Formats: sequence, structure tokens, C-alpha cells
Amino acid sequence: MGFVSLHRGNRLVALLLLPVFLQACHKNFLDAKPSTTLSVPTTLSEFQALLDNNAVFNQVPTLGEASCDDYFFTQNAYQSLDIRQQNAFLWQPNLFEGQGGQLDWNAPYEQVFYANVVLDGLGNRPEADSVSQWKALEGAALFARAFAFYNLSQVFAPMYGTVADTAHLGIPLRLHSEISSVSTRSTLPQTYQQIINDLDSAEAFLPVMLPSNNASRNRPVRVAAQALLARVYLSMRNYTLAWLYADSALKFYDSLIDYNNLDTTAGIPVGIQNSETIYQASFLGSNQFIGSYFCAIAGGFYSGTRIDSSLISSYDPNDLRRVVYYHYKPYDSSYLKGSYTGTNYCFGGLATDELYLIRAECAARAQDFGSAMNDINKLLTARWRSGSFTGYTVTSWKEALDTVLLERRKELAFRGLRWTDLRRLNYEGANIVPTRNQGGFSGYTLDTGSVLYTLPIPPDVINLTGMVQNPGR
Amino acid sequence: MWTSKLTAILLLVCLVKSRPVFAQGGKLISLKEDNAPLERVLQDIREKAGFSYGGEAGWPQMSHPVSLDVKKATLQEVLDICFRDQPVYYTINSKKHVVNVSIRVKEEREVHGYVYDENGAPVAGAFVQAPGDNGTTTGDHGEFTLHMHLTNAQLDISGVSFESQHVLLPERGKDVTVVLRARVGSLEAVEVHTGYEDTRRGHTTGSVDIIDNNLLNRRISTNILDRIDGVASSVLFNKNVLGSVNESTITIRGRSTIYANPNPLIVVDNFPYPGDINNINPADVENVTILKDAAAASIWGAYSGNGVIVLTTKQGKLNQAPRVSFTSSLMVGQKPNLYYQPILSSSDYIAIEDSLFNRGYYNPTFALPLSAGGVLPPAVETLDSAAQGFISPAQAAAEIDAYRKIDSRKDLNKYFYRPSINSQYALSVSGGGSQDRYYLSAGYDRDISNVVRDEYDRITLFGNNTHEIVPGRLELTTGFGFAGSSTYFNNPGGTGVNYPYAPLADARGNPLPVANQFRIPYLNSLSGGPLLDWQFRPLHELENMDKKLTLTDYRINIGLRYTILRGLEARVYYQYGHGDSDLVNYHTPQTFFTRNMINEYTQFTSTGIVTPVPPGGILDEQRLIYIANNVRAQLNYSTDSLFHGRFNIIGGWEVRDLEGSEWTNWLYGYNPADGSSVPVNYTQTFPTYPSGVPSLIPYQDQKFQTAERYISYYSNAGYTLKDRYMVTASVRRDESNLFGVRTNQKGVPLWSAGLGWDISREEFYHFDPIPFLRLRITDGFNGNVDRGLSAYTTTSINPQVNIYDNVTATVVNPPDPTLRWEKIHIYNFGVDFASVKNRFAGTLEYYIKSGTDLIGQSPEDPTTGISVFTGNTADMRDHGVDLTLRTDDSFGALRWNSALLFSYVLDKVTKYEEKLGSVYDYMVPTTINPLVGKPLYSIYALPWAGLSPVNGDPQGMLNGKPSTVYSSLVDTSALSYMKYKGPVNPPVFGSWRNTFYWKQWGLSFNILYKFGYVFRRNSMFYGPVFSAQGSGSPDYAKRWQHPGDEKFTTMPSMVFPVNSLRDQFYQYSDVLVVKGDQVRLQDVQISYDLSKETRPGLPVQLLRFYLYANNLGILWKANHVGIDPDYVNSIPNPRTLAFGIKIDY
Repeated sequence: MGFVSLHRGNRLVALLLLPVFLQACHKNFLDAKPSTTLSVPTTLSEFQALLDNNAVFNQVPTLGEASCDDYFFTQNAYQSLDIRQQNAFLWQPNLFEGQGGQLDWNAPYEQVFYANVVLDGLGNRPEADSVSQWKALEGAALFARAFAFYNLSQVFAPMYGTVADTAHLGIPLRLHSEISSVSTRSTLPQTYQQIINDLDSAEAFLPVMLPSNNASRNRPVRVAAQALLARVYLSMRNYTLAWLYADSALKFYDSLIDYNNLDTTAGIPVGIQNSETIYQASFLGSNQFIGSYFCAIAGGFYSGTRIDSSLISSYDPNDLRRVVYYHYKPYDSSYLKGSYTGTNYCFGGLATDELYLIRAECAARAQDFGSAMNDINKLLTARWRSGSFTGYTVTSWKEALDTVLLERRKELAFRGLRWTDLRRLNYEGANIVPTRNQGGFSGYTLDTGSVLYTLPIPPDVINLTGMVQNPGR
Repeated sequence: MWTSKLTAILLLVCLVKSRPVFAQGGKLISLKEDNAPLERVLQDIREKAGFSYGGEAGWPQMSHPVSLDVKKATLQEVLDICFRDQPVYYTINSKKHVVNVSIRVKEEREVHGYVYDENGAPVAGAFVQAPGDNGTTTGDHGEFTLHMHLTNAQLDISGVSFESQHVLLPERGKDVTVVLRARVGSLEAVEVHTGYEDTRRGHTTGSVDIIDNNLLNRRISTNILDRIDGVASSVLFNKNVLGSVNESTITIRGRSTIYANPNPLIVVDNFPYPGDINNINPADVENVTILKDAAAASIWGAYSGNGVIVLTTKQGKLNQAPRVSFTSSLMVGQKPNLYYQPILSSSDYIAIEDSLFNRGYYNPTFALPLSAGGVLPPAVETLDSAAQGFISPAQAAAEIDAYRKIDSRKDLNKYFYRPSINSQYALSVSGGGSQDRYYLSAGYDRDISNVVRDEYDRITLFGNNTHEIVPGRLELTTGFGFAGSSTYFNNPGGTGVNYPYAPLADARGNPLPVANQFRIPYLNSLSGGPLLDWQFRPLHELENMDKKLTLTDYRINIGLRYTILRGLEARVYYQYGHGDSDLVNYHTPQTFFTRNMINEYTQFTSTGIVTPVPPGGILDEQRLIYIANNVRAQLNYSTDSLFHGRFNIIGGWEVRDLEGSEWTNWLYGYNPADGSSVPVNYTQTFPTYPSGVPSLIPYQDQKFQTAERYISYYSNAGYTLKDRYMVTASVRRDESNLFGVRTNQKGVPLWSAGLGWDISREEFYHFDPIPFLRLRITDGFNGNVDRGLSAYTTTSINPQVNIYDNVTATVVNPPDPTLRWEKIHIYNFGVDFASVKNRFAGTLEYYIKSGTDLIGQSPEDPTTGISVFTGNTADMRDHGVDLTLRTDDSFGALRWNSALLFSYVLDKVTKYEEKLGSVYDYMVPTTINPLVGKPLYSIYALPWAGLSPVNGDPQGMLNGKPSTVYSSLVDTSALSYMKYKGPVNPPVFGSWRNTFYWKQWGLSFNILYKFGYVFRRNSMFYGPVFSAQGSGSPDYAKRWQHPGDEKFTTMPSMVFPVNSLRDQFYQYSDVLVVKGDQVRLQDVQISYDLSKETRPGLPVQLLRFYLYANNLGILWKANHVGIDPDYVNSIPNPRTLAFGIKIDY
């Protein structure tokens, strides 16, 4: 009642002052977070959590694989595809027919965005954090960005020809997380230089140790950066450096799975935790056709994706890959099993078997066919039924190279590598002409040297940025 | 003194000009005087009216001079003016034609009193005056205290919305009670509660609708909002609502946001109510006020974008003996009609399966291991068994024949549904003394749902008390509300499978399994093995579910009113609210959920089997708590004499803090007997059985907290001149803890202004059939906010670790430094009118709502990592008309009331930058599909070019020619390939309610109508039936089978293999779009009243019996396909019949 006993005028003043008084706590009051689940990332653990988001990272685009010659669609499957899926299968120039929202472009750039959020955030790192921790995170972010840039460049930019090739356009290189600046395409050498710079830094920053054999390998380590560098240099036809990085990686880690130890009747014979995987990644999500059509295990009535007859027939009956990779059926009816992802999604990451093949190819090209065949024979021993493989012997580097390239196709089928190989090998003069003449299709070919080896940039990107479209698209 | 004379003159001018006065038995006088002595005026009157005068000695010297100018006034009117504010008073002796003048005796006296309207509601703001002495206005509770100095005066009481009243002073020590009669246009007198102030409808320029207590009680329901369905103007209860597209179940005046909160604000006891509306017992609600336009709602600022519903709770009355009231009702409802949604008959379903089997459709599944092939319906398994020679063809035929005769709905109807019984009891006591008043109530509701094992019960307690601590100065109001309820959700709701021939029980009532996850032969092969029984038995699920939601909610109100000066009041309000929602879903060990999870994670090791998900039940608990603290400090000032007009203003400041906590946790191996549970390994993946896919055990333990904070400043003012010109204005500023927005952008200033003109009070107004006519116009802004967005890059931690055992985070939104609040600009034009004696009265309003800065999505260059940008990029515009027409007529003893509500509102997206990928995206019902120029919720369809005469394929139009290239028809991005068919929600809707009273009987019925909208009907789509994912449709029987059929049917032929794009084309073609227009009889109420007035021997004051029938059905609908447009994909609410009783002691 003290309030009431104030002088009348004072009471009024007191009342009017009440809001002013309460205003004192105003500033903090309105600074409360609307939800504890929301935060502006600043700590190392928050950055780590962003990089560990495997719904964003650890995924690769699939349109390259869809344009390859390792598979075909049945008519029924083809009919239920949407336009772009049909167009990719039949190499139609107007791949997207005006439709935007293409995951093959958007998902890798989302990885770039996340990586940039981390890299920008690490720029303001608190003093207290240990140098090795933030270095490791910076390395992981750089690796993820390079992986995304590389995957994009294999689909949306032309084949890397020469260092001086500045006439060709590469991909846009976004290096910061802000979204306001307009995206423009870099030149092709700039694209590859950025990938290599990021990977060189990543190799220096990333931790050396691979997780133990039974752990998952979704986070990159130094050997992953080396493996990716080997892959990148191979795509650039720099066989010297490709050999060097494959060799460095294999010297550190060369484990192979002996397929004789696998349950070849299982739908997914290899688990996600396997000794061959260096960096885990899968084909992009289920709303793109690759994920759902390439593989069929429990749940699907049928798979509409069949294995190309020349590929499936190239496996020897004693070659366990025929039953580990595929539901092997006669009459062009074989289809895919699960993969190194431990799921029915195809594997798009890095593994030691690829390194053996890179080292072997580079050795063969360097005319060291003995080393090349050593690697191939070591690999195939782990692939064929025990005792059935006696080892290949060749008498020329040329023969060795042919053997390596055939084994490369058989070993690395549906790993997202064939498209780059087609571009590269045809550049080297292999003259491989993919055709669609199975499953009731005929008359479709993808000629060597075609501009269609570079896929179009999605139309929404072109419309919103005005960037230059690829030729012939 | 001169001012009061001026007032007298003005008043007189008003009186005379606005109300032509007719002779009342005496001569009419015209008189003009300027500052003349009273005696000389009386001399003039003597000459003109023939009344002489006399009086006590000395009166001419005591009296004051008089100025007046009257034409054709009665004697009394002239004398009233002359004696106003005089220390003398007059009496008339009509027989002797003498005016006698007496001198007033000076004497201090204080008079207390109360002013009520005819309904017994207190009248605030009425003007009380003793002529020649002081005046005052009544407070919020109709109370007044007048300090008088003269005796023998009378009291004049007047209010804007009421006929003036003269009463004699009461005896000393007694209070005076005045009942005012509403003026013509009685709607004007109805109280409007905005949550900030209580005013009369006649004092506002805004658009409001008020549902009074009678109307609220017309309907029987446990939820208060159900009671305004069909009786509130411009309020639409949306049917067929899909939660995924941010649609609200209630809209007021259409839609004006896209992604932000779409729900109207609900205010209880002066503050926004954050809890479950089911916690409010309708028996405690006195009335409901709906604030629709800017002038009415913008006092709620950033909350008000979707309109405001103010629930005003009951209060006691001063000086009233305790009044006890008891109401009870019992409502029974029919079983739901499971046969309403037409489905494909078992026989046809099996025929299709048979044909698929013969075409080898299931061969890929047969080729796979039993465990991996996916589930197959029983008839297919029978066919396979026969084909493999496990059973004889005769046995197979017999089994198939038995399946054909089964209709699952028969068993569902028998075991899963029942008639509903709902009972309600409410008891209240209210009353008051001279300084306090109170209301106390208790309610109990019990609802036995029409779904077996689902139940609801609720206890509510509510009370308030207002006490004058210092009479006339300080008043304290306290209140509390409590609600506790339990809801049981123990009915799984269906068979769990889509094929229609699943029997649920055998002949002896034992539960039977259905094929819902694994192939039957696979499950048979497991039996006797180490795994738990893996069969799904719907009836077993019904018996074993144990899911309960417990709600506890309470709120405490404290209010203090202090009168600082005459007309100036300070008020402080505080409300504490606390709600607790606890949803416990105990998956008993017997449920399929638990058995399935244990089996899936079972590991076969060399040493035996291990179950990482331990045996026992699984307890899933989700708990939500909110704590609301509201503080408001407000000053009210009102005066009747600001430049001769009535002026009132409120201004205040308020803080609102709503803190929420939400947590979920799962306990594995739970034993309810002792509350124990078993720890599990969440971080290791286990190969799941039988697919081998590695999975983590679901980890659901998390807790997070939310905070919604506001600081607001507001003011609202109104000025009324000559009872006919009205100006209102409001301003408000809200600031909130929007995340990461710079402080200067946290707030939004909103304002409104309004003008009102009571044209019927003008002297030039002579339209007798409509003696009351008022025009209103308002303009202003309401606001809305999407609290999920931020100006910074924000991330959120995902609830469960990923398969690699890592904590992961997602970027929630990219930086948006320009983020701001949504604004809704509303113009409102209104006309209120009434005929003589209110025989008919009504309101007609037209409004335009423009939403700007609405949160919308716009395409962003995906190279940035963001393909869609969510920000303030969209605009919308609605316009509409609301008409309310009420009639009140008598024919002898029969009285007839009617109310016609008519609303038209159509919204239009005027700016939206994102274009969806294909026409398909605009047609699927699960995405928000704004298209510029069309309503936000629209139905689009693909043009239809008939069935192909060759093979019965559905044909669309491509480049002007019939086409069956479905990928081009469905997946095209060219929007010109689709047609706009109409809005999802009716743009024209309303009701027509009629009530008849005859002696003690009352009869009321309400007819609802909706026009101008469309819906997409179901039909036979082959894909879902082929894969046993859908129930199909009897349209199958009308399918194209032979050339020529296309002339009679639009149902495409059955093709194999299935072509999902062909199905989609048909599904979204315009042949399946149907008009929704309908007229329905919502309900009928019959009541019978016994009251002490009519039956003096009655032991109680009032006894009322009533019968109420609800959901009576459709009277007319535009469609001929047998679909109730309110229930396109669901089962209609069954009819209910209720009996109720109300006793007032």
C-alpha cells in the first residue's frame, strides 16, 4: 500500500516511470535464443557437426554414371522415368528441358556452402582451441570442397586437356559462404588449380591416421587426400603425379578385401565398415533415379536397371565380383546388388582397389609393365575364387595397359568413375563409342569427341546468373 | 457557469435538430433568449404556453440568467433547459397550468449506484448527472459514485447506445440501480472486449463480431471454438485440411500469409492463450468477440495478422445474491459410416491380383528370397502356392472364393467402432456484495469416442473475484483457471493393410494376422524359431495399445485498478500461465511395434542369439511444458467534455515471455510394474534382420527449450462528437527476440485509424424505415512473424547421431540481413443499420487486405548452396464482403428471430518469385503452390481430351492435339498446360439461423452454405492397387474395355505393366475436379423453459430442458458423385443427439 500513500502527483510519475524502469532489462530480455536447437556456429564441435552431416556430404553426383555404357534400362523402367532421366539415358542434347532444381549441381554446391561456412567460421577461431584441432577441421573442409568441385568438373566442365587451355570454361568456384555475390564460371585451369590447391592444403592439415579396420570412414584423413589427388591427376592425364599419390597412399594403406570371405548370396555382401574404403561416399539421394533404379534389394518388385551384356560377360565364372556386385542372371537380366556403402546405393567414395588400378595404369603407361601386373595380380587374387586365379602375364606395356583398363572397368563399375574414364580414354584415342541397343532400344550412340561429353549447366542456374552454357547444349 | 450554458445550448440544438419533437398534449413553444433572467423567461413561457408560475420567496434573486434558442419544443423540454444547473428546481401542476419554482436545499450527499443494460450486463461509460449539480461516468462494472450538493434533484443517465433515463434519487443509504434500454440499433450496445479495454460496439469504428452467451450455448461441445462454427461472421472452419501446407483449421476473413503462423490469435483473460484450447471449458465463457479489421485488431499488433478471437470469461455481479447454476448434457452419436468412402470390392481387387499374377507381375518378388521380396497380399500367396503345387487348384479356388466374400469394413465396424457418448456437467456460483463480486465454477466432461478404446475426460475449475479495497479508488481482481484432462488413444484406426479382404477375427473372435510387412510364407517359416512372433494382428493391436495424453493447465490472474483522478485510471495486470502436455505411448511387449523392433535387431552369433533391443516394452514419452508470464501496465483516461465530445484514451506497456520446454525419451525394456528399463547401445550399428542393412537403435532422447519474448507499447484513442462523429486511432510497437536480427529491426510499429458517422442523427436524415444508419471506415496495419528465420547463418544439431556415430548439424538458414516482419494492410468500409424496433438490423462491410513483406520462397542460384531463399519476398491481396442481417418479429405469441450471415472472400497471391519445377508440383496436394494471380490454395488440373477410342488411354492436350505422352503432359514446366479450376476453400460461405419462441418453447436450426470452390475426387488409380498400396475405387467397373466405351466413361482402361505417369495424368486431369458447392442442415435445437415468473411454485429460478441434434446432413450439393464436400477423403462426423438441462437456483 506504500504505493497508494504516495502523493497523487508522485504516483502518476511513478506509474509513468514503471516502463522506463522495466526497460532496463530490455536489452538482455530480447536477446534470448528463440530455440536451444538453433545456433550461430562458432565452436569447433559445431563445425565438426556440420562436416559430419552425411545427408549433405559423402555423396556424389550421378548424371555421369547415367550417361555411361555399363547399363541399360528396360522399356518399362524407361517409361516410368521422368524427362531428364530419359534424356540422360539417350544422350539428348536438351538434357533438362528447362527444368531446374538439379541435384547433380545443387548437392555438390551445398557441400561447398557447408565447407565455406566452416572455413569462414574457422577464420574467427577462438584462441583457446588447439591448433591441431582446427587444422584438422580446416583440412576436412578443404577436402570436402575439393571433392565437390572435382565431381562437378567431371560432369559440367569439359575434359582437362592442357595447362594452357584457358579457352574452355570450368565450373564456378565459390570460396565464401555469403550468398549475395553472382556466380561466374572460372577457366578450366583455374578449376583444377583450385581443386589441387585445396587438396594440397588438406593433405598437410588432415590427420594421418586411418580409423581402425572396423570403423567407418566418413571423415577424410591424409591418405584420402592423397587418393583423391591421384584420381584428380589421373583425370588430368598427369600420370606421373597420379602414380606418385597412388603410391604414397598405398604405401601407407593397402588393405584389400578377400572376396572369398564374403557371403556372395547376400543382398549386400560388403558392409559399410570394410577395410578397403578410404573415404565413404554414395550416389546421391533417392529422388534421382540412380539410387533407386540401379540397385534392387528388399522392397522393390523389380529393378529396371540391367547390366550391359559386354560388361557382365567379361567376368570369368570364377571371378567372385560377378556375384558380389550383381544378382547374376542370364539373358541380359543381371542387376546390381548393394555396394561398399553397405546399402543398395552405389559407392562413390575412395578405396584402395582404385589406387591399385591407378598405380598399375600409370606404371603401364610408364612402360613398367612388371609393376603394373604385380598390382593387378594382387588385386585379382583377392577377387577370384580361391585357387582359381593363376596370375596374368603380359609381354608388353601395351598389353599390360589393355589388361589394366579392362580390369579397371570391371572392378570400378558403378563407382561414378566410368564417365571420366570415357572422356579421358577417348582423348587418349581409345575410341569407345557407347551405344543403346539393348532392352528394345536401338540407334543411340555417343560419338567420340562429341560436345555431349560435357553435360549442360542446369537452366535455373543459367537464368539466375547469366553464366555461359556449355557448347552444343 | 458559461460553459454549462453553452453545453445547454448545444444539447438543445442537438435535441431539437436531430429529433423533431411532436406535440405531447401541450402547446409547442419556440423561444429565443440571450442571458435573460429566469423570471423573464417564465413570463415569456406564460405568454406562449399558457402556464403561469409561482414559487418560494427569493427564487428570482437566486437564479441564474438563461440563454436558449428552441423551436417547437414542449414545455417540459424548455423548462429542463432553463432549470439546468440552477440552484432552484421546478414542478408542474398540469391541472392548474402552473409552474412552481422551489429553492434547493444545500446538503452534501454521496449517491452510489449501478447501471445495467437490459441483459443485466453492467454499462460502462454511461453519463450520470444530477441537473444543476455534478456529473460522473460509470466505471467498467457500471458503478458510479456521485457527490451531490442539492436535494430534490433527479438523476439523468445517458449513454451513447441507450435511451436516456431519469430516475429519482433513492432514499439515503440505499444504492440506486438503473436499467438502460438500448437505443434503436441495439447491436450498438453490445460489449466489445478487445483484451485491452471493454467498450461498446457503438464506440468503435472497427469490424467486430460478438457471439453472446445464448448463441454460445446453443451448441453442445467440449471445445469452445466448435461453438462459433457457423454462427460467427466471416469465420470459416476449413475442412479437408492438410497440415503439410500450413493451412489453418480456422480462418477469419481469408488468408493473408503463406509460411508464417496462419492461426488467429486466441485471447483468454486479457492475454494470448498459448495452451490447448480444449483446456477452456465453454461453460466458463460469457461471450466471444472476434476482431477482424485493423482498427479492431491492431491493438494486438504483431499477433493480429490472422484476426483475433477474444474469449471473455464469466464474472459475478455486484449486489447480487449468490446464484447457483447447474448444466448438464448427454450426447450420443452414431457409429461412423465406414462405407462412405467407396472402395474397390474384394472380388474386383482379387480379380486384378489374379490377372497380375497371370501376367507375371509378381515374378521378380517370387524370384527373391522370401525375406527380401516385399509383402504380397494373401490371394497372391494362394495363387503362388497353387502354382507351386503346395495346394491343389480346388483348395486355391476355395480360399480365393472365401477371400472374395470378405469385406474388412464389416469387422472394423464390429470391433473398432461404437456409438459415442459425451456427457458434460458444469456447476457455478456467482454473486456479489457492494464492494466485491465473484464467480466460481467446476466442470466435468467425459467423452467416450466412437472409436473403441479412445476416451477423453476433463476437469476444469475456474474462479475470479473482484474486490474494492478502497471504494471508488482501488480495486483488486484475482482469478484462476485449472484444467486437467486425459485422452486415451488406444485404437490403431484400421487394418494396417490396403487390400480389402483382411478378416480381423476368426469365427470365435480370435485375432487374425494380416500381411503388412513380410510375406506370409516367410513368417510361417519363422514360426517356432528363436524370434518373437512377427505377425501383425489388428485386433491384437487394438487390445494392447496403451497411449495416453495428459494435459494440465493453469493460469493465475491478478489485476489492480487505481483511480488517480476523475476519469484517469491506472491498471496493472499480471498473468501466469503454465501448461503441461505429457504424451505417453507405452508400446507394450505384445504390440507389433515392440516385437518388430526386437526382432529386427536380433543378432545371431556363434554363442546364440542376442537382442540389442531388450525384451520388454518400449516407453515413448513426449513432454511439452510452457510457462507464460505477462505483465501489463496501462493508463485509461476518459472524459465527456473534451471540446464537447467524449474522449477516451488508453496507453500501456506490456511484456510477454513464453518459455517452452520439449523433451522426448524412449526407454527400452521398460517394465511398467516397477518403472525399470534396460540400457541399449545407441552408438553401434547392427545388421538388421532380415535385410542386413546396418542400423542404429533409434535414439529419441532430447530436450530443447524455446523462448518467445515480446515487449510492446500501445495506445488506443477514440473521440466522439455530438454522438455522431467518431474518430479512433491506435498505435502499437512490438519488439521480439527474433534471432539475430539487429535490435532496430526487432520491432515493428503498427497503426490504425478509423472514422465513424452516425448519419441517422443528422437533421437532414429523414429516412423513416431505417432510423439508425452509421458509416464506418478504417485503415491500418496488422502484423505477423515467422520466428523460424534469422538474419545470421544458423545451424541446428540433429537429434540422433548418424550411422557413423557422429553428432551432425544442419544449416537452418543462410544469412538474411533484410529479414523483417510481415505486414497486413487492411481497409474496411462498414455500414450498420436498423429498422424501427430492430425488426431488422445488420451490418455490411467491404474490406481489402494487402499482405506485404510476406515470407515467401524465391529461387536462389543453387551454386550458392541454397536453391530456395526464404525471406520477405511475397505479397498477397484479399478482398471481401461480410453481411450480417438479423430479424426479430412477432406474430401473436410466436416470436421469430433470424440471422443471415454471408461472407465473400477471395485471396490472391500478387507477388511470388519461385516457380515450381513442373505442373505436377502445382497439383500435388502436399506442397504449397503459390501462383501469382491465383488464390494461395488452388486446384489446378490438366485439360482432358477424352479416352483414346483405340485402347482407352486417357488423353491430354499437347500443342492442340490429343496426346498420351504422359511425361510431357505431367512433367512439363510450361504452366500453360494446366488449368486453374478454383479455390480449395469456399469464397462464399455463411449461414442462415432461425429461432422460434412460442410460450416456453424454443426451436432453432442453422443452415450452412458454401459456394464457389472445387475439390479433386478420388478414382481408380491402377498403380497403388497393383502394389497393394491403395484401396482402389468402384470406378474400376466403369473402365474402358471395348472401343466405343469412351463415349460413356472417363475411367481409363487397365494396362499392364503399370504406368505411373498415366495414373498421374488421370488423377490430376480435370475430369476428376468436382464442384464443392453445398447447403447443409447443421443442427436443430429445441428448448423448453420453466421459470419462476411463469410458474411461481417452481423451487428454482429457471429450469431449461433442451434437445440438440448436430451434423444432420447435406440438403443440397452440386456434385453428383455422392461425396460430401466437407469430407472428401475422410469419414463424415456422425450425427449426434443431445439432451441437456440447465437449472438456475
